Amino acid sequence: MASFSITVNGRAQAVEAGNPEMPLLWVLRDTLGLTGTKYGCGAGACGACTVHVDGQAMRSCQVSIQAAAGRRITTIEGLSEDGRHPCQLAWLAEDVAQCGYCQPGMIMTTAALSAGKKPAGQEQIEAALSAHICRCGTYGRMQRAVGRIVAGGKS
Amino acid sequence: MSTTRRQFLKKGALGAAALTLPIPLFGQTAKPGAARFAPSQWLRIDADGRTVLVVAHSEMGQGVRTSLAMILAEELDADWKSIVIEQASPGPDYPNTGTGGSDSVASSWKPLREAGAAAREMLVEAAAKKWAVPSSDCRAQMGAVVHSGSGRKATYGELVALASALPIPKQPRLKEAKDFRLVGTRVPRIDGPGIVTGHAAYGIDTRVPGMLYAAVAVCPVKGGRLVRFDAAKAKAVAGVSDVVTIEGGVAVLAQDTFAALSGRDALGVIWDEGGNAKLTTEDLWSRIDRAAEKPGRSTRKSGDAGTALAAAATRLSASYRTPFQAHATLEPGNTTARVEGGSCEIWSPTQSPDRVRKEAAKLLGIAPEKVTVHVTLIGGGFGRRLDADYALEAVAVARVAKRPVQVVWSRSDDFLRDRVHPGARVDLSAGLDASGRLVAWTHTATTFHLSMFGGYDANEDPDGNPWGGYDNPYDIANMAVGWNEIESPIHTGAWRAVYYPANVFARECFLDEVAVKAGKDPLALRLALLAGPSPFTFGKNSVDRAGLARVLKLAADKAGWATPSAPRAGRRSGRGLACNIYDGGTLIAQVADVSVGAKGDVQVHRVVTAVDCGQIVNLSGVEGQVESGVIWGLSYALKGEVTIAAGRVAQTSFADYPVLRLDEMPRLETHAVPGNGAPHGMGEMPVPCVAPAVANAIAAATGKRVRQLPIRPADLV
Repeated sequence: MASFSITVNGRAQAVEAGNPEMPLLWVLRDTLGLTGTKYGCGAGACGACTVHVDGQAMRSCQVSIQAAAGRRITTIEGLSEDGRHPCQLAWLAEDVAQCGYCQPGMIMTTAALSAGKKPAGQEQIEAALSAHICRCGTYGRMQRAVGRIVAGGKS
Repeated sequence: MSTTRRQFLKKGALGAAALTLPIPLFGQTAKPGAARFAPSQWLRIDADGRTVLVVAHSEMGQGVRTSLAMILAEELDADWKSIVIEQASPGPDYPNTGTGGSDSVASSWKPLREAGAAAREMLVEAAAKKWAVPSSDCRAQMGAVVHSGSGRKATYGELVALASALPIPKQPRLKEAKDFRLVGTRVPRIDGPGIVTGHAAYGIDTRVPGMLYAAVAVCPVKGGRLVRFDAAKAKAVAGVSDVVTIEGGVAVLAQDTFAALSGRDALGVIWDEGGNAKLTTEDLWSRIDRAAEKPGRSTRKSGDAGTALAAAATRLSASYRTPFQAHATLEPGNTTARVEGGSCEIWSPTQSPDRVRKEAAKLLGIAPEKVTVHVTLIGGGFGRRLDADYALEAVAVARVAKRPVQVVWSRSDDFLRDRVHPGARVDLSAGLDASGRLVAWTHTATTFHLSMFGGYDANEDPDGNPWGGYDNPYDIANMAVGWNEIESPIHTGAWRAVYYPANVFARECFLDEVAVKAGKDPLALRLALLAGPSPFTFGKNSVDRAGLARVLKLAADKAGWATPSAPRAGRRSGRGLACNIYDGGTLIAQVADVSVGAKGDVQVHRVVTAVDCGQIVNLSGVEGQVESGVIWGLSYALKGEVTIAAGRVAQTSFADYPVLRLDEMPRLETHAVPGNGAPHGMGEMPVPCVAPAVANAIAAATGKRVRQLPIRPADLV
């Protein structure tokens, strides 16, 4: 059993893992109880498990605990304190979610790209979201939510 | 005798005839002097005004927690901001918690309105008593009762004790549709805030103290059996606690899901795969083709189609095929269970809580009353979760493990163990008289039975099958419809809209073939065939041809049917349409604009939908289901196909079972017509017309008929 230090949603944590290859996804969900990060495929194909690693959107099923050690991890639970991150508000304003299972991943990808000094535009965010899967087909409303975010809440 | 899907859904898994939900407490009083007003099992109001509305159907993205709560809140005149949703567990108060057939809103409409109205009348009466004024001078408004003369106001919370002592009205007065203030509007999903913050709990998010995670190895081929495995190798994996056997499988128990899955990989299980081990998709199709040589059981007959065909001036016939399909819900199969002290508690993302309860009780040899089923949010259902299989697996493992267990399926498990929607072949023929009028029509569907609902029974009630063929809405003098259902050697099950997609694809595409042959416009031909008697009745069915013609015209108008579709450089452009009535209820028409490139690549640019689902409850939900159904239908038309090799589903991931993605989205336009009367369903209804509208548009663009799904570019070069 090895111990790894990671910072999750602003809190430094020591995580025990029997296998250094254990994906961050399962550390978050099963060890730390942060179940907002979803398991969809375990192969990086669906995007449901997307979190921020040092501010970058990454698929947590493809990041081992070993690789995550020393990094800053943000999950959907830590995206905002009050659920009022611009992406969360835009998602609610467009009533995007259906089953909702893929949405934390979609939101985390959008949040990473729309943050920072050079926020991405609509096209770039849509290209990134096209590598995610929503089986309910909420893509149209998602496009509108991204439109709101890109417009900085002005739309 | 097995149970057909429709019977299964309408009667509930317990066989209780519960088309309308009873309100058993009517005619009694609520608890006198109670601190909480609970006049029925559907709602209760606390002294602080907190209003709990109970939802007895599973939320899987169709928005049922919101729409059912809206119905209650409307009649109750509740303050939407003060309501809390509680998910019902199956039991005496909730005898039909099954969710399928797009039936939740339609079947709940009347009982939930009555429950809300009864409570509202009691609260108004309580206020009138409190103020010693006539109740006719008082009215309910946003969670309070107001006295018109004096303007005095009492919140529902303040009236709880008084209202609880009053008799429950037997026939509460329901609102008139013109007075609805919530029903018919766009109300955002009530679970939205939980979903966007990651706090919404799905089945896989269940966490019970002391629980272990389990991955289960089962034979990948139906009918196989376990030969041997190496428990020691699995136990050597870090985090693995134990290895146990259950009937038909080996479960690896671990501290986390990763260890459980890794432990299972290490088991080295050897199976005797049995008699189906060499089965292929080709074998399945040859079984269908052999069966299709027979005329099938006659399920609808008018006039004499055989004679009319023989006498027709022009005849045409065609065979259509639709593929085997996976559900590929994003949340894989999973359930958490605890079995102890002669009772059982289950947390499951299930569409069939009644069935889970009953079958778990049977498995454990205990009374159903000893089994509690907590219905979690569901990460996509689409008919897959009408089966109880994965829930029972968790119960079986938890029983042996003697502690709470969460069984989680990997993505490849979820494909491998899916209840595949079977491929279908639909054979059609048509006869035109000398003037080009359609006078004869035959439609025979051949497919596998849905093993999810029980064993194969050749004498089973055809149950209105083939759906979409049997309830063909068109006025054709001579019609014969046949149904060939054969036993399936693989696990099969319901899928969004079940039999409709295959049969509506065939019917609506073949009708376009008839239009071309007769030199008629596809819209004009359909409108002429819908101009017959309406409502047209046969058997227990009523077909609203006039209503269908209305939505068809609306969709065509909005799509600009009269003008040619926009040309696109280097591509062939076309527009196609299709329409359908779902189970005598929702009327829908769709128009697709597509273009086809030189290599046969298909782009769908726009889909216009017109729909009349009766009274709209949540407009945002109705539109959302159309958007969702179109995307589902496009995945079906353009991408999805399950193949069988070596007796098992060959697809293991989203890499080999592609579904539509955001950058493939067409422009969607949805026109929901304010309908009259009770609401009909919306979950499945938008799916069946998508593939034929696209296929008809492709034929308009290229002259090539698409008779097989998914659409293959190579066929369109």
